[in-house]
Amino acid sequence: MIENFNRFVLANIGALLDGLWVTTYVCFWAFLLAVVLGLIACLIRMRLPYVRVVAIAYIEFCRATPILVQLLWVNYVWPEVFGFPQTVTGAGIIALALQSSGYLAETFRAGFEGLPKGQREAALAVGMSRWRIVSRIEAPQVALVVAPLVINQLAVVVKSSTLVSIIAISDLMYQGLKIVNQWYEPIEVLTTIALAYFVFLFAISRIANYAYVHFQTKFGIASSQ
Amino acid sequence: MFAALHNAFDPALFWEYRVALLTGLLQNIIIFVESAVLAILLAFVVGIASLSRHGAVRWTAIAYAEFFRNTPEYVLLVWVYFVLPLIIGTALGTKVKLSPHVAAVIGLGVAYSGFLSETVRAGLRSVSYGQTESALSLGMSGFTALRRIVLPQAVRRMLPEAVNQLVSLFKSTTIVSLIAVQDIMYQVSMISVAEMRPVPLYTGAALLYCVVVILATQLFQRLTERWRRRGWA
Repeated sequence: MIENFNRFVLANIGALLDGLWVTTYVCFWAFLLAVVLGLIACLIRMRLPYVRVVAIAYIEFCRATPILVQLLWVNYVWPEVFGFPQTVTGAGIIALALQSSGYLAETFRAGFEGLPKGQREAALAVGMSRWRIVSRIEAPQVALVVAPLVINQLAVVVKSSTLVSIIAISDLMYQGLKIVNQWYEPIEVLTTIALAYFVFLFAISRIANYAYVHFQTKFGIASSQ
Repeated sequence: MFAALHNAFDPALFWEYRVALLTGLLQNIIIFVESAVLAILLAFVVGIASLSRHGAVRWTAIAYAEFFRNTPEYVLLVWVYFVLPLIIGTALGTKVKLSPHVAAVIGLGVAYSGFLSETVRAGLRSVSYGQTESALSLGMSGFTALRRIVLPQAVRRMLPEAVNQLVSLFKSTTIVSLIAVQDIMYQVSMISVAEMRPVPLYTGAALLYCVVVILATQLFQRLTERWRRRGWA
């Protein structure tokens, strides 16, 4: 066991760390894109009466389609129909972002709708513009309320990112499977990878938990009713 | 414009392969049902154990839930398919082979039992402890109190969240194609290799899933609402 661990895991630690880096890179950009897309979809759905339907369709599509299907769809269909993305990494990032943006849009919407209505009316009464109400009054409070859920969504992105290995993005899972296929000794490598993902995701879920327990009190804004 | 759309999604091609695609979908549904049953059974055991009075039992259950909640399904699936047979084989001293189907059911079932056990735990905790105490003081055994008093109320409160989890379990069944279970995504990739036209099929698969998942979500939500109102659950 130890012998095999040295031979298959430690000997290839460089490749595995490269894979971990690619995983981090893909997840970071996918998550950032997901937050931006989610916020846009949420604001369109809440505030723009005529194009609301488009946002609803987008959100439902993203939420109801499995990540694997989206990944293959973006990878094979988008380059032919839309002309981008040109690289597999781009396809992986877009697919992961699509999936999460749908969930995040609904999370943000729940946050906005949880705010007392009186605040918005009061801000309108003192003559603030719509955009200013969102940016100065609503967004800061919503950010605190949704922070734990948004961090949890990052965990979902990392989890789903294991699947990008199948479109040949060389992430941690891809590097691991490559070693397994080379030597056909799966026990040590796959167990190490499972534990690595567990540690990564457990850390994220602890941070989300911390945000859930402490953010409201720490930043001194009363929780919305 | 029309040509581009036709290139993106061609219903005729979908119709031509309807048998293969529907068999694939059926396979998804079978795996979904089997792994859902496994996940629910495990979730009840782990959820109840995580509220046990005995520290060792409680911490084992919590560790189980945390581990399976925080490990990606794909990694678990591959681990169960490749590593588990080797470990069982070494323990028994024989060669063991898991079929992709069994590995898929175990992998997904175990992965989702982690999520569902949290739902069970939250549901059990939402029933006030005074009820257990009064049941015990009436002379019920701990198990009877759980079965007759706590669980019927807890299950009703778990239903909406459990439905969400089961929907995401259904979505996760797509990944079983990666260990060569012949589900719908497997069929789609086989057909697109044969036809050398991946584009319309993948769009079709995405739309099909979208429709199936939205319909199933609506249906399950309606059903569970009705159960809750009539007090069946």
